[in-house]
Amino acid sequence: MPYVLDVDEFRPIVESARRIPECTISDPVNGYHKIVSPREIILRRRDMKMKPAVWYGLFTGGLNGEIAEFNRGKVPVIGAKRPL
Amino acid sequence: MPADSLHEQASTSSAGLEYHTAQVEVSKLKRADADKVVLRLEGVDHTARPTWKLRETIEFYRDVLGLPLVHTISARGWGLQDHADFLHFFFDAGKGATIAFFYYIGTDQPARYVPEDHYFYTATHTAWSVPTAQELQRWKTTLESRGVVVSPYTRHEILESIYFTDPNGYPIEIALRLREVEVIDVNDARLTLEAAMQVEDELRAGGRRLQDIDTVWRRKAKLVEQMLSER
Repeated sequence: MPYVLDVDEFRPIVESARRIPECTISDPVNGYHKIVSPREIILRRRDMKMKPAVWYGLFTGGLNGEIAEFNRGKVPVIGAKRPL
Repeated sequence: MPADSLHEQASTSSAGLEYHTAQVEVSKLKRADADKVVLRLEGVDHTARPTWKLRETIEFYRDVLGLPLVHTISARGWGLQDHADFLHFFFDAGKGATIAFFYYIGTDQPARYVPEDHYFYTATHTAWSVPTAQELQRWKTTLESRGVVVSPYTRHEILESIYFTDPNGYPIEIALRLREVEVIDVNDARLTLEAAMQVEDELRAGGRRLQDIDTVWRRKAKLVEQMLSER
């Protein structure tokens, strides 16, 4: 699932994931949080109060998973169906 | 070292105009870590673009934006054949930097130099910095009150920016740096581009091309996992 760089502009991803009960979020190691979930997670731009230019770079920290659909408001992410 | 002595000491090995057309083969160039010489830049001296609108450009930058005109060169060409006489003029952009234009006298603007409404074209731009959010707001509200159409505020990670175009159609960005870059940004930048170069090289070797950012993000995750497992 996503790796999230521990900087101000991407921290809302971590905070949003903390509100999803199934998600496990590691403390940052070498600057990266790791978000893991046994099932699909849906991230919503409004929840994260994220500007579009940052939203569309949401997974720049790395993504071991599949993006089901990426639109202006939400992005569901599912676990990887194939190895990295 | 006086600047004049630069010319006297210069090697002639790269003299001539080959540098105008030579294709650089990057893979054959020596690396900086081979000779250990550290080259550094210290900000912008000037940016330069051609203009075919002399009066409008001067009035826009000097009189509407209010940037002082600080230097003008006027010359009969560069001493080269087929080079138009020209004016080269510079507006103060702060911290010693200037925004410069060339006006080539008696020439028509070739069609390929007419600005296009496409991101390939607007990718070529300079972002001029302001020190505070108040100053960024002052630029937006003041320019709008002077009749210039200014974009909404746009936040992209470490920058908050506004955009407008000059009379030539050139895009100008005014940017506020929201935070300093840190060590983790530097490491992250390296990993993202390493991921992109790896997947592009691999796809090219198979006769294909990189088609999406998801492929880069997947490789990035692999590189991050490798980095974390090596701790």
